[in-house]
Amino acid sequence: MEIEVTVNGVVRGVEVRPHETLLALLRDRLGLRGAKNGCSEGECGACTVLLDGAPIDACIYPAAACAGRSVTTVEGLAPPDGELTALQRAFVDSGAVQCGFCTPGLLMTLHALLAERAAPSEAEVRRAIVGNICRCTGYAHVVDAVAQAVGARR
Amino acid sequence: MTVAVGRSVARSDGEAKVRGVADYGVDVVLPGMCHGALWRAPVPSARVVSIDAEAARRVPGVLAVLTGADVENRPTGISLCDQPLFAWPLVRYEGEPVAAVAAETVEALEESLGLLRVELAETPAVADLASALAPDAPLVHPDWASYASLSGAQWPRERNVVCELFSDTGGVDQAFSSAAHVVEDTYRADRQYQASLEPHVAVAEYGAGRFTLHVAHQFPFNVRDRVASALGVRPSEVRVVGHHIGGGFGAKLDVSLEPYAALLARAVGRPVRMENGRSEDLMTAQCRENAVVTIRSALSESGELLACDFDVVFDSGAYAIDAPYLASMPMFAVGSIYRVGQARVRCRAVYTNSSPTGAFRGVSGTYLVFAVERHLDHIARELGLDRRELRLRHLRRSGEKMLNGQTLADADILRECFDRAEELAPFSSLGKGPYRGVGMAACVWLTNPLAGSAVVKLNEDGTVGLVTAATDNGSGAVTMGLRQIAAEELGVDALDVVISMPDTDVSGYDAGSQGSRTTRVVGMAVKAAAERVRERALAVAADHLEISPADLELAAGSVQVRGAPSRRLQLAEVAKLAAAHGGPITGAGSYSTPMPAYAPTCATGLLFPVFPTPTYHLHVAEVEVDPSTGNVRVLRYIVVQEVGRVVNPTGVVGQIQGGVAQGLGYALWEWLALEGGRYRQRTFESYGLPLSVDVPRVEVVTLEHPDPESPYGAKGVAEPPVVPVAAAVANAVSDAIGAEINCIPILPEAVLDALASQDGAGARGVHLSRGGAGAEAGGA
Repeated sequence: MEIEVTVNGVVRGVEVRPHETLLALLRDRLGLRGAKNGCSEGECGACTVLLDGAPIDACIYPAAACAGRSVTTVEGLAPPDGELTALQRAFVDSGAVQCGFCTPGLLMTLHALLAERAAPSEAEVRRAIVGNICRCTGYAHVVDAVAQAVGARR
Repeated sequence: MTVAVGRSVARSDGEAKVRGVADYGVDVVLPGMCHGALWRAPVPSARVVSIDAEAARRVPGVLAVLTGADVENRPTGISLCDQPLFAWPLVRYEGEPVAAVAAETVEALEESLGLLRVELAETPAVADLASALAPDAPLVHPDWASYASLSGAQWPRERNVVCELFSDTGGVDQAFSSAAHVVEDTYRADRQYQASLEPHVAVAEYGAGRFTLHVAHQFPFNVRDRVASALGVRPSEVRVVGHHIGGGFGAKLDVSLEPYAALLARAVGRPVRMENGRSEDLMTAQCRENAVVTIRSALSESGELLACDFDVVFDSGAYAIDAPYLASMPMFAVGSIYRVGQARVRCRAVYTNSSPTGAFRGVSGTYLVFAVERHLDHIARELGLDRRELRLRHLRRSGEKMLNGQTLADADILRECFDRAEELAPFSSLGKGPYRGVGMAACVWLTNPLAGSAVVKLNEDGTVGLVTAATDNGSGAVTMGLRQIAAEELGVDALDVVISMPDTDVSGYDAGSQGSRTTRVVGMAVKAAAERVRERALAVAADHLEISPADLELAAGSVQVRGAPSRRLQLAEVAKLAAAHGGPITGAGSYSTPMPAYAPTCATGLLFPVFPTPTYHLHVAEVEVDPSTGNVRVLRYIVVQEVGRVVNPTGVVGQIQGGVAQGLGYALWEWLALEGGRYRQRTFESYGLPLSVDVPRVEVVTLEHPDPESPYGAKGVAEPPVVPVAAAVANAVSDAIGAEINCIPILPEAVLDALASQDGAGARGVHLSRGGAGAEAGGA
């Protein structure tokens, strides 16, 4: 079926197959390879993107269900040649990035959190990212990055 | 005063990673690329009776179907050459490749795999350690005696035992016969899956007699060599290009999909991409092995350790992989941190019909240290001794030798570790309150010594290029450590050091990201390469400024006159001058750590004889047990780690925090259980990885004892933080509930059973029998 979906602010008309996931659409057909496939079952969160501002697991979300809606991926957070968001900057500076495979998903979940809560507590941050598995960092530097980003925005 | 070393320089690939534009193995797309996949055996032990690929080949879009009948199928390996490409005719583990298919689309691929007709005659599986060691056990490898070792080395092996290490100082039995106390324990550990978020992936091209492999791999040169030997071509006919690695932790040191992608690419004449699904990845990842450790200690009346009898049986799975090397590890777990008196050590690596095990950060150190440290706590409890005091009494001192005869020149650092932990939180003050407990565990760990190399060049814009096949699996060893070392040597901003991705055609040999070797070993190579660049830059500038090179120095991106820094040449100018006077400025460096002296006659089967560049570690865990659920919560976690020199403070803390998280997963939540040679867990849904709400913030104390033989004194950092975690946590849980916890992982059921058994006649010697541990092998 033919759908229209807004991806990172640009309206795209795409033909999608019935079982196609949003992740396959983004990665294989729209060339947006920031969102990652870690498990194909909505467990690891590496594929997290925002759908109308809310984080979802793109690996198990039907592309067809995105018709008329707005998708934001990690590539849409900052202009390609422009400044990083405060959270992206803080991820780099705080050591929240190691292998980085979970990073796009974490960033999307946390941008959604920061849109709702200007200064979340550590417990709120940890609860928000409970669906984003990071195998490298042990999460402490991710928590630090959020605090640094909150500080930078003040 | 340093300009780069010792500072929290951000990793060079950080921006690409937060923008989502870093190019991982899974992101590689080539023109004309098609897709490949493996038909994997659904049972752990069988004979392939026939393969009918007719229907599979007829699926529109299918380009090739290959089986053991279509290739030479020569056995290869990284220690023993026992592993063929395809199960043919024997299937030795569930998930073993039986056929490889290439197709235009993923859909055609899946249809073709579904139509492949493989007739298997199932045979009795050697399902666990005890049955592998039974005198009448079926042989996992009926031809075991005919296998050659890769290096030509020989070691004791027989039937299902792929390597046996044996060491005896003598006097053990006499010590036991006259001992005031004898304490014996058996410990069991199940497997652990590396679970890097990026699964194994490989893209292969073939053309004009050469293969190019695009990988996200910890050890590109091993991919080159392994693919070459499996396909029977010269290593130089295989080029391996590295991309960003979405985590490795040891799972990406040996080959996985690469030889099959290469075979298919040659067969179809087009690039072939292969990627493991998550379950496939879990089932075939060469995970940390399951094991049974039995320790018996002889003690004097006052609790002096007089002798130790240490027996290990661990599961190599269906193939040897690195098990013959790992069989040496008990030599560094017993008698290394604590004096144990006379010692007898036996370690057997055993074939079973299960997925081959291999390297996972910390390898067998995790369960060996668990066994040693749990046993010490048990001794303390039996004899009514203070746990910390017992350890301090037996702590190694500088100049003493480990069981392998290697001298620990700086073992007094151990005492410093204990003192610093005590300053931060007195051991006796922790774990107070109902169902709370505290535990400690110490270890010595090596810095992998294997060879590395680097080329440093001065670019014409004054930046510095660093070319190396060393890989950054996320640790920051290249993107922080090596970059900082090059910057420090040449007096430039670390941001002005540009790193190449690994390419075996371009770079000198590198032994991969393993054993925390990169910052130290490749750092030495970078330092040597940079020194050559510096000498040449100074000579060129000296000519131009008409001054002696001895009066010049490199600083702030320029060559300047000592004491008169306004008289200077920018490095960009130096590079341009050099081009016209002798050519561009480059320097090459190579390094491998000299082997420490040891006693070759200390053991038989000792393939991994020394622990070069040792570091020292003490971990303290405070936990609380929920008596209604059996769940364990970690309240505090303290690490005192000796690192030589902190090159990047954020990086060091990140490695320790992350390593402890993996250790907590191993101790408490991650369970990869075998049943009949097959894994019960197959997905992230059933395999319990640590989540953000599970892992506490680790309190880190770094000790710096710079090593004169290391770049800026830096020793290995990233591997060891995972090693003592299960030991410290298990001691803390045992302390909390007053019962011995002797199995990893510490499942809530085990905690509840231990608590329940206390209501009866004491709670000593809680040994859960779990089908998964496969493990009544202690006395075999």
